[in-house]
Amino acid sequence: MSTDSLTQDLTQRTENSSRELLARAFFFGCAFLSIVTTISIAVLLVTEAAKFFSITAPLVGVEGETATIAEFLTGTEWRPNFTPHEFGVLPLVSATLMITFGSALIALPLGVATAIYLSEYASERARSFLKPALEILAGVPTVIYGFFALMYITPALSTIFPDISFFNLLSASIVVGIMIIPMVASISEDAMSAVPDDLRQAGYGMGATKFDVSVGVVLPAATSGVVASFILALSRAIGETMAVTIAAGSQANMLNPLNPLGYFESGMPMTAAMVQLLHGDITGGGLAYRSLFAIGLTLFVITLAMNIVSDLVAARYREEYE
Amino acid sequence: MTGNSGAGRELLSRRNFLVASGAVGVAGLAGCTENPSDGGDQGTTTGDSASLSGTINIAGSSTVFPLATQMKSAFQREYPDVKVNVQSTGTGGGFQNNFCPGNTDFNNASRPITDAERELCSKNGVEPVELKVATDALTVVVNNEAGWVDCITVDELAQIWSPENPPQRWSDVNADWPDETFNLFGPSQASGTFDYFTEVIVGEEGKSRTDYKATENDSVIIQGVSKNEYAMGYLGFAYYTENSDSVKALKVDAGDGCIAPSLETAKSGEYTPLSRPLFTYAAKSSLAEEHVAEFARFWIENSTSQELVAQNVGYVPNTEDEKAEMMDRLEAAIEEAQG
Amino acid sequence: MSTDARDAVEDGFGHVSRTVGTVFRYLLLVSTLVGIVTLGVLLVYVANDAIRPLTADPGWHLTFVLAFALPSLLVGGYLYRRDKSALFTGLNALGVPAVSLLFASAAAMLFVDVVPPLIWFAYVVAVAIPLVVLLATTRYSHRIPFLARVATLAAVTVASLGVVPGAIQSLPFVPQAWLVVAATLGVPVAGVAGTYADRRWGRRAAVSVAVAALVATVAAPFAGPTIGLDPLPATVLMALAGVPTAVYVGTVVVNQPERRVGLLLPLVVVAGALVGGAVVDALGFAGPQAWIDWQFLTSDHSNTPAEAGIYPAIVGTILLMVVVALASFPVGVGAAVYLEEYAPDNTFTRVVDVNISNLAGVPSVVYGLLGLGVFVRYGGMTPGTVVVGGMTLALLILPIIIISAREAIRSVPDSMRQASYGMGATRWQTVKNVVLPRSFPGILTGTILALGRAIGETAPLLMIGAPQIFDLPTALDARVGAMPLQLYVWATTFASPEFYTTALAAGVVTLLVAMLAMNSIAIVLRNKYQREQ
Repeated sequence: MSTDSLTQDLTQRTENSSRELLARAFFFGCAFLSIVTTISIAVLLVTEAAKFFSITAPLVGVEGETATIAEFLTGTEWRPNFTPHEFGVLPLVSATLMITFGSALIALPLGVATAIYLSEYASERARSFLKPALEILAGVPTVIYGFFALMYITPALSTIFPDISFFNLLSASIVVGIMIIPMVASISEDAMSAVPDDLRQAGYGMGATKFDVSVGVVLPAATSGVVASFILALSRAIGETMAVTIAAGSQANMLNPLNPLGYFESGMPMTAAMVQLLHGDITGGGLAYRSLFAIGLTLFVITLAMNIVSDLVAARYREEYE
Repeated sequence: MTGNSGAGRELLSRRNFLVASGAVGVAGLAGCTENPSDGGDQGTTTGDSASLSGTINIAGSSTVFPLATQMKSAFQREYPDVKVNVQSTGTGGGFQNNFCPGNTDFNNASRPITDAERELCSKNGVEPVELKVATDALTVVVNNEAGWVDCITVDELAQIWSPENPPQRWSDVNADWPDETFNLFGPSQASGTFDYFTEVIVGEEGKSRTDYKATENDSVIIQGVSKNEYAMGYLGFAYYTENSDSVKALKVDAGDGCIAPSLETAKSGEYTPLSRPLFTYAAKSSLAEEHVAEFARFWIENSTSQELVAQNVGYVPNTEDEKAEMMDRLEAAIEEAQG
Repeated sequence: MSTDARDAVEDGFGHVSRTVGTVFRYLLLVSTLVGIVTLGVLLVYVANDAIRPLTADPGWHLTFVLAFALPSLLVGGYLYRRDKSALFTGLNALGVPAVSLLFASAAAMLFVDVVPPLIWFAYVVAVAIPLVVLLATTRYSHRIPFLARVATLAAVTVASLGVVPGAIQSLPFVPQAWLVVAATLGVPVAGVAGTYADRRWGRRAAVSVAVAALVATVAAPFAGPTIGLDPLPATVLMALAGVPTAVYVGTVVVNQPERRVGLLLPLVVVAGALVGGAVVDALGFAGPQAWIDWQFLTSDHSNTPAEAGIYPAIVGTILLMVVVALASFPVGVGAAVYLEEYAPDNTFTRVVDVNISNLAGVPSVVYGLLGLGVFVRYGGMTPGTVVVGGMTLALLILPIIIISAREAIRSVPDSMRQASYGMGATRWQTVKNVVLPRSFPGILTGTILALGRAIGETAPLLMIGAPQIFDLPTALDARVGAMPLQLYVWATTFASPEFYTTALAAGVVTLLVAMLAMNSIAIVLRNKYQREQ
């Protein structure tokens, strides 16, 4: 990005040659594709989901069966292929919420602790081992995490809790928690590294110990970055698909998110419901098929909102210290 | 900087040289040749069975899916160069999204094609050829400890699974049964078993009580029923035979006495109404290709196989008469397509 | 502040907090390790299920330890104490052949099973012709107007791609398959090796290195059968694994005499494996009854775990990755160049900027819906094919590539751009000659990491309708499965205790090896690149 006048003067003459224009057009096209992608996602989800809801279906010229928005958002039964259909998204949302909350319990404290350790305590050598290891933690395919949950974690849990069902939310929460630790850690660590050294020195100058500085100075100063990392990681947990599809099961039970015993039950998060809908005996133009896009839209809106909020929060710490 | 760009230019010209000489080298080496008709291909197996090659795409019912994968494996032992992809999409999903748009050669179905689907297909110029490939028997299972029940009438089943006033306790249905809460398991929509069961038991396809544990995964039904003394579930006979130690199959009484589910009773038609035909639909235009036609012949030829159909998958094989009828229908279609 | 209060504070600092500090420090360390250790334990479990080391004879274990493990550890320890950089060299000399062998095998699979060498040859020639034209016209670029050159080139490309493949395939005589591969791979590999040698050792060495590489590649099809390799794979493995390894070892021997001792490590490892293998054979010890074995890697799916294999899934993954790389790399780098080098500071740029970071956060299952809707339902393409899957995954990793490529481009010092402009270079020339070459390693690292993510994605493939039971895909419009999809099918459709601890565990290990290979390349590349900066 060159705004200074010298460069502009120098490049002015050649800027409009056909070769330059061609190159510029190509690069612009590439960047524009990202906008096209977003618009396609939004348009596709909105138009397909519009065919699902009775209030919008006439607008897109679709006749036949529809569901009301109220039924979708407040119904407590998810049975897309029964007669009569039940399209209440709440059972799915309840399972998603529980997995998100459960994984947060694991990932947030561990992630922040990891970030503090890497940013304040770890030697260069330790960092050179730990950071790639964390990357691998985030890089293991989620289908493998699902397999681990089903194959090793659930049997281990059932020796402690004999009542736990074969598919359960607890093992799903644990693996999702493990896989989002690196996300919390790396973004929080970036925020902590961005805290100016002056603040730390000032702390030490006051006679504070490393503990005091880490917890009393660096962590508060990096709050917005840490919060941003929390939001991003939770949004990742909400969108996580394969691990929960394999480990959490395929029964759309309505769960009470406040009841910890629910973690021993199986549940069907939103993403798992989408996978199941495609394998189910659903017909191409049918209501169940469109409900896929209605859940997709719900998921997209939630994650998008969380991403934007996280961006706004993160922008704060950049402004503060850069 | 001058040095830098100089080096860059030199590099570029060297690259020119290398690429140019590479092209010349390729042209020169082209002297060492062979005749392509001698079999420049690596798949140089001979014999007429290996002469077939191509790809076959199959989608549709998850009930027929295991049978289709069996046929695929057996077929490929004879014709290793034919590739067969099998996808489980559900009967309806297969017709709507794959078969009728012309993306697949076969669509497996656990029910006959509907008029609407036939219409959709013909709109796209796809003509389905119906082939019956096996008979499936649904099985009602209870816990091994459930000593109070061995046989159940269709009416009792209808009462238990109907959405209108579903009974909560065993004793609500039959006073001889214990005063304990039902713990019900069953397939959800994906398996097609659900459609069939609701149609023949409750009386309308897709009409069912909803407060039972519905799952795609038949092992969940087996597990759930085997762990709970007051449980009941239904599933395909194939899955029951794999787990006949874990759960107990109920005899079904449709008015002519109690009949236990078995290959024999299903084949003879005694085990009613819970046995049903399974189909695959071939696209007539695909049958014009020899490898597709040969696969269809192979499937029908082996639809009477005890080993492939009954032992490996647990469905009831076709009778010889059925096979002959299907073969005639198939050959006629093939002739028409290839004609 | 009164004196008393300060005393109290100092007490707090001095005594209590030292313990608290120590406890806190170890608490942090433990927290950091929880996830890593958990994953490690799970990996040990799955490796145990897949390899079953305990099923081997005690004699086999003894031989393994004495001939292989102990000597390797001893040499490693010796190198560690003597010179860490030599140990590093030794590890690299093990890693380079291992990783290049992995990728060469992937290429060999494509040549053997997917792309017939004749068709490959036809397209190489068809692409070579416009390249030659491009180079020729570049020579005379001053005399021909730019647009005329572009038009000529486009015309030649279209004509060449349209005519040449058909013409070559209809020739009465065509080159032998191995010869085609030896020529089309050997020549570029020799060229690259020569360029590398030229930069280090001068022109004369370059010529001999290039000739040696070419000779080795052409000789491979004749030498291969003597060790039980078919001519075609032997050629590919020599060109893509043998030559790079030889060049690496040669560099160490010639340029880093102080690190030469590090080569002892690979020597001992290879010798130990050979000796151990011979001893085990001679004494008749049975090795572990591993589920992950040659049969598993080369067979198709089967309903019985003992016969099930993952080969079609491996080839499917390779094909998908080729499409993903071809589709996402140019576009991703292009977008990054635009945003870093061209974009004016206006609202549109900021929108693109925010948009890309948000796209990176969209769940993969939603990308699957996008692929289903755009390519299959509205684009009319066949569901579940290589092209549809590849393009869907390409869209998924595009934001990641753009973000990492931008970072790499941003790290090019501005002074270099200014210098380029100062020499009278245009913006495109600056991008082409300064920015891209300089940021290339960083861009490559980011792309490999992104591909490492794409390799494990399952949900998008499920959404676009990939089949559960699939055979080897041999064309871009064939139905495709991939390794993670195969694992998902084994974990759900074939859910049974037999599959869980057998084929599924072996498949998990296979996929993890592929993922770790890609990640380790990226990490090594990045470390090297960061050191150089």
